[in-house]
Amino acid sequence: MKRLKYLLAMLLAFSMVAAACGDSSDGDDSSDGETSETTEAEVDLTQGSDLTFHVITHSDDGPFWTVVKNGADAAAADLGITVVWKPGVNDAQTMVQDIEAAVAEGSDGIGASLPDPDALVGPLQAAVAAGTPVITLNSGSNDYQEIGALTHVGQSEFVAGQGAGNRFNDAGATKVLCAFQEQGNIGLSERCEGLSDSFSGEVVAEFMGLDADTTEQQNTINAALAADGDIDGVLGVGPVITMSALRAAQDLGRVITIGGFDMTPELLAAIEAGDVAFTVDQQQYLQGYLTVLFLYLNVTNQNTVGGGLPVLTGPGFVTPDNAAAVVSLSEQGTR
Amino acid sequence: MSDTAAATPTTDERLAYRSVFQRVFVRPEVGGMIGAIGIWTFFWAVSETFGTVGQTFGWLDIAATLGIMAVAVSMLMIGGEFDLSSGAMTGAMGMLIIYMVKETGETGGWGLPLVVAIPLSLAVALGIGYLNGYMVERTGQPSFIITLATFFALRGLKLGLAKREVQQIQMARTDEATDFDLFRPFFAAEWARNDHQFELRDFTFITLIVLAFAIVILGISELWFKRNESLKSAGLVQFLAGIVLGVAGGVAMHLTDGVAANIAAAAAIAVGVLVGVNGWASWRYEPIADRGKLEIREDLKRRLAIGVGLVVVGAIFAVIIDSSSKRDVFFPFTTQGIRAILFVGFVAAGLTVLAMASQGALSINPATKFAVTSIMALAVVFVALTIFVDSESAKFRAAFFSVVMFVALVLFAWATIVSRFTERRHPDRQSDRLGARMLVAAALLLAVGMATRLLFTIDAEILAGIPPAKTSVRLLWFFVFAAVLVWVLANTKFGSWTYAVGGNKEAARQVGVPAARTKTQLFMLVSFAAWLVGLLIAFRINSIQANVGDGEEFEFIIAAVVGGTLLTGGYGTAFGGAIGAVIMAMPLLGIAAARWNTDWRWLFIGVILALAVIANKFIRDKAEGIRR
Amino acid sequence: MTPPLLELEDISKYYGNIIALTDVTTSVNAGEVTCVLGDNGAGKSTFIKILAGVHEPTEGTIKMNGETVSFTSPRASLDAGIATVYQDLAMVPMMSVWRNFFLGSEPTNGLRIDKKKAKALAKEEMSKMGIDIRDTEQPVGTLSGGERQSVAIARAVYFGAKVLILDEPTSALGVKQSGVVLKYIIAARDRGLGVIFITHNPHHAYPVGDRFMILNRGKSMGNFAKAELPRDELVRMMAGGAELDQLTHEIEQA
Repeated sequence: MKRLKYLLAMLLAFSMVAAACGDSSDGDDSSDGETSETTEAEVDLTQGSDLTFHVITHSDDGPFWTVVKNGADAAAADLGITVVWKPGVNDAQTMVQDIEAAVAEGSDGIGASLPDPDALVGPLQAAVAAGTPVITLNSGSNDYQEIGALTHVGQSEFVAGQGAGNRFNDAGATKVLCAFQEQGNIGLSERCEGLSDSFSGEVVAEFMGLDADTTEQQNTINAALAADGDIDGVLGVGPVITMSALRAAQDLGRVITIGGFDMTPELLAAIEAGDVAFTVDQQQYLQGYLTVLFLYLNVTNQNTVGGGLPVLTGPGFVTPDNAAAVVSLSEQGTR
Repeated sequence: MSDTAAATPTTDERLAYRSVFQRVFVRPEVGGMIGAIGIWTFFWAVSETFGTVGQTFGWLDIAATLGIMAVAVSMLMIGGEFDLSSGAMTGAMGMLIIYMVKETGETGGWGLPLVVAIPLSLAVALGIGYLNGYMVERTGQPSFIITLATFFALRGLKLGLAKREVQQIQMARTDEATDFDLFRPFFAAEWARNDHQFELRDFTFITLIVLAFAIVILGISELWFKRNESLKSAGLVQFLAGIVLGVAGGVAMHLTDGVAANIAAAAAIAVGVLVGVNGWASWRYEPIADRGKLEIREDLKRRLAIGVGLVVVGAIFAVIIDSSSKRDVFFPFTTQGIRAILFVGFVAAGLTVLAMASQGALSINPATKFAVTSIMALAVVFVALTIFVDSESAKFRAAFFSVVMFVALVLFAWATIVSRFTERRHPDRQSDRLGARMLVAAALLLAVGMATRLLFTIDAEILAGIPPAKTSVRLLWFFVFAAVLVWVLANTKFGSWTYAVGGNKEAARQVGVPAARTKTQLFMLVSFAAWLVGLLIAFRINSIQANVGDGEEFEFIIAAVVGGTLLTGGYGTAFGGAIGAVIMAMPLLGIAAARWNTDWRWLFIGVILALAVIANKFIRDKAEGIRR
Repeated sequence: MTPPLLELEDISKYYGNIIALTDVTTSVNAGEVTCVLGDNGAGKSTFIKILAGVHEPTEGTIKMNGETVSFTSPRASLDAGIATVYQDLAMVPMMSVWRNFFLGSEPTNGLRIDKKKAKALAKEEMSKMGIDIRDTEQPVGTLSGGERQSVAIARAVYFGAKVLILDEPTSALGVKQSGVVLKYIIAARDRGLGVIFITHNPHHAYPVGDRFMILNRGKSMGNFAKAELPRDELVRMMAGGAELDQLTHEIEQA
């Protein structure tokens, strides 16, 4: 049974990777188009369908959510509809209020992230009961079915970790340090568990200091690497700690395969330079874009996607081969 | 408060003479230093790599930025206030500087050169510090609340402005500054050890260390013994002969190889130390006329038996337990761990009993004292040999063995002079000053010796292919900043007023101390430190995330408390803050170096904090002479 | 005849409709001790605060050397040469004696505090007052109550106070310690200071005082020179005078 799930997940992952390539170029087009006449033409085409979707997320943190928002905005522009973006502050209570308000306003569809299922499942079920289509995005892969959501658009951290593990297998690594920057964070743990699952060698998962203190991170990773000469790969489960790992490895003068998660300009530059082997990209642009698109198709055309399974937006990989392209895309805010 | 170690300026005959140990150990910095050495030794023992140069640079690197903040925060806490915005401010200042120098453009900054951005950002930092101080003074609310507000405001500003101005949650590329290369050496210069060879390194190191320890013995003697009416030049000759012999031993050890030659050289050093120390003492101090006869009383005999017994039992445990097994016996102990605990525990207990016996022997007569202390020195030699014979690890067999043997030598040298010369029972200002200066000189020699060992490599190491190790100029900033503040706190009006506003603000105000201004200046000092740290980070990693520094403020406060600063103000030292930072930095790195599960690291920090607080209270009560 | 060093004429102080002091008149001459006696709530602390510049009197005038002055702040009072030693001493317990002695006016060599000079001066100044501190390095917190008072008095004298106001300096002390403090009061007087000694204890006031002013419920019960006032009378007045007679009478009848 477990094996079957795994296979299915992998299958989906790869299909989504393929889809992602196409979609990201779509995204590219649309952002190019925003300044041209195409947008106006599309607005003309969809005039009359004055749909309003609400996208309610738990965080406003970082370039990450900016890209999700850009995706949702681009979809709204492409489809000629309105998307109300409600960023949260990691507070489930505010999200509950936003969801209830959206339903009360007569929203045509709700996209919501689900960091705290206990608090949010109820209100979303109520929304579904009220006839509002719901899609969960980013987090919520375990609960979207209970809610009765159309599907879930997001990355499975476990699958993403597995993807990273395969990369280390390809690189011929034998022992990988999975360095995480936050203790007690389920998402980060799942990334490491996914790595352990697919990686053929040994994995040690360890807390290596908070992002808030990169000096400590760098030296702690340095200490771990120095103390264990067998480690020949490091997976940083965030972009900052990945850069810290790179500096640590460089200080030690050791040849170590370094992989990361998510992106910052520095990390992309390091990949472009060949210092970091890859980073796992969850292609969050898709999470915004596809959520809106799927809601739109459901409302206007009664389409459902995913066949009861979540739609995975990742893992996509940025490697030295495609880094330059991703850099320019990320400057446009779509990657 | 922070004057020279043992200087007792007034020689009032009613002043009870306090023993050297009472005078030295009652100082909070000394307690912190002993704690630091203890933690270092602990991690050195449990980790294969913690003692290496690379990792030493590692924890020093963590300690540097932490320490710059901790020293400033210590001063603010002595002044009776907190600054919860200090952590967030480090990141904020770094981001500000980068924003100022970032190239202009849609998602760019102001494009200023660093020569403008550095003073400008400093002005902003000082402005925030001023604002903190002003608000605290104006509202009369606890600084805990006021600076919490500043913390949230800074946190919001960092994220909000970054996203608004550069559409990222970080500020990147310090190197876009037009004069980046000009300033880089000041804030990010690195010292790659493998690029700097110095073949006489080990010789210099050993010479300086031996010299430093010899000076420590002589300095303590100066504090301990009663001076002769006139100097005995025969002793001086003996002293010089001892030096010549010791140096000859050192040179021989440097030039020769092989076990026999090394033993001979070591013996020469040992004899040199003994002869030199005794020479010095008979040159300067009043000999004991009647040393008495050896007299081992019943209770003393029992103590000796128990002490030696415990040491032997410890050694037996070390021999019979299989050291190679890393099997878990019961959580969290492995066989190896249990062996270490049993060995260290029994040996420590045994030596403690012997030390008590030695103390007790003092009341009988000097000859007995000599005998008992010598037995203790022999027990230490026995421990050294056990380690040598029964340890797999090269570092224990070589380095630790030498250190323990050296300890035994020092103990024996001390036994010889303490039983031959009269203890001083009255304050002697001149001797106290000389002794204190010698201790300071010894500390400097130690520091230079260790720095030599850390900063330079030798051919043999490069041939052996040791990993590169490097350190950066931020360490220098830390030392200089700490040294300046230590001086300021101990020697200036501002320093005095800092203690006063923290100890009793109303009283200080009544006698004309500008309390509000002093506190505001302290807040500005902290924001200056945050600015410096922000600058160092900006130059190191070229980009600063919006959450850099958030939450670090508690680490600064912990470091200050570990270093002996009182949470309620009015007591502490800047040096303590620096030591506290080192104590905090070592386990952060040490746990990773020991390959322990890092889940436990906060437990470790918690235990250290608790121990530090208890130890500090003990020291402070002693210092204040409070009897309970 | 030279005017008194410090003179108070018809001083009154109202806090809203509460009358704290009415028409209080007294004076102190250089080299004399004026004792202000009063029970709790008699207005002693208001009296001190007016002299220390914490409060301004509602009515009345303060004269120094015959010239009318007004103290708008503690600083102004201090600058005029009036030093107040409060009951809760202006001392920082965890700081050393010499640092406390010079706090706010440390002697410096450029930036650096001249510690040698400060320690020597502190010791010397205190010994001039007959105060013998064992070690100027020891924290003030480790001194006895009397010793702390003496450091505060010596400090005020050293920094050029002309008038020394002592707020209940003996109230928290044992008999022996109180005697020591009284000795310092005399030492300060002998050095030409005008001392205003505020206390509720006539037995402490009488031996050192040259002049006595008794406060009761915010009113002055009169100014007396020592010659006009036998000790028993002072004790009787302090113990409540007529009120006490009445009380004794009542108890006896019962």
